[in-house]
Amino acid sequence: MRLRLAFLLALLMPELPLAPFRAGWPCSWLHPLGTDALGRGALLRLLHASARSFGFASASTLGALALGLVLATRRGTGYRTPLRALPPLLYLIPLAALGDGLGWWGLGLLQAGLLGLHLEPPLRARLGPFLEGPAWRYGEVLGAGRLHRARTWGPWLWDQGAGLFPSAWIGAIWCEATVRTLGLGPGPHHDSLGLLLQEELPRLATDPTPLGWGALFVALGLAAASKIRPQEQP
Amino acid sequence: MSKGLGVWALALLLGVLIPGTSRGHALGPFPWLVTALTLGLCLALAATTLFLVERLGPVLAARPPLALWEAIPDLLWGALALVCWPAAWGPPGFPALALAFLLAALPGELRWLAQTLPRESPFPAAWGPRAIRISRRLALRSLLPRWLLARLPLWITATLILERMLGVRGPSSDWMMRLAFRDHWGVACWILGFALLWVLLQREGA
Repeated sequence: MRLRLAFLLALLMPELPLAPFRAGWPCSWLHPLGTDALGRGALLRLLHASARSFGFASASTLGALALGLVLATRRGTGYRTPLRALPPLLYLIPLAALGDGLGWWGLGLLQAGLLGLHLEPPLRARLGPFLEGPAWRYGEVLGAGRLHRARTWGPWLWDQGAGLFPSAWIGAIWCEATVRTLGLGPGPHHDSLGLLLQEELPRLATDPTPLGWGALFVALGLAAASKIRPQEQP
Repeated sequence: MSKGLGVWALALLLGVLIPGTSRGHALGPFPWLVTALTLGLCLALAATTLFLVERLGPVLAARPPLALWEAIPDLLWGALALVCWPAAWGPPGFPALALAFLLAALPGELRWLAQTLPRESPFPAAWGPRAIRISRRLALRSLLPRWLLARLPLWITATLILERMLGVRGPSSDWMMRLAFRDHWGVACWILGFALLWVLLQREGA
């Protein structure tokens, strides 16, 4: 989880500088995958875009986990079950189309909200026995406020939720990649894996570039890595 | 249940009151032909899944290759269909979508059903292969409605992504288009459909 959280720093990285006069250079020692149409080193761009996507997924998964924990410690789920009836992308894609595309904040918040709703049942299953036990009620009986309970139990609750982080993180990456590949995500001025896939996938059949194959390889590698070690499914 | 129905009623109200001028007439008629083809595709998927799970049983759920196959998201199957489709054959239409959909959905369905089947050891395994076959068939028959209702939203999502990627106007992208074009009554029909699916699933689960 710490490694994934480290990618949050990638969100602070500036965009790669454009150098149109170097556009379309072939592979060389300096640029192992050549350069893209705007003169950026393709390998550097692949790493930069992937790190950005991972950081974005970490941020939205953190939000989703926080929301899931808050919902799981509350009573009553009746009004939330219909919202969980459909997969997040079945809401996200039409809502993005309704707003003529989503910005980073909109996408991140919607993604965190929808993933948080889906994280609630497994979190509730983990925390349920404890929340119904005397230790949780103890503070309530003694008149401790919500803030006090959050301070006392917060780290433990967070540890319980951390087990679900990897699978939710992969889900967040696919959400972002899908929305951007379909052309409904943030504009082209912010790089990410989804933007790379959107630009390069349609070209792979007719005019493939090493950058396109690299982006596909990263996506396939992520998919494979998510299943090599068994993870808890939300 | 009543709280859930309240949420659907609210969603319906929001659907009817989406701000903006309705441009639903620009969408044209509902794509009935592609819908019929998609329904046939879903039936083919269901039949293939049932056949394979009946043959291979619950051990299928623990197979690592199936997990690896399942890990690949719909998006990449769509990409694969785009890459592999020969340019000389024209734009990839419904056949490419059907292939990508089957490849994307089959592993998940196989694992879902195989995981839900009851254990076969020590019984009915001790009674022989015929008993195992009968046990699986009965279990699958009772699981069928719940499986279809629970997985239908995932199939709609997969077809929505593939339809958008491969440029096919089908039933799933119609949901997105009606919302984007602010077709209030079209959106209301879709929300009613989703609500009905949810109600059926709740009844099935009760």
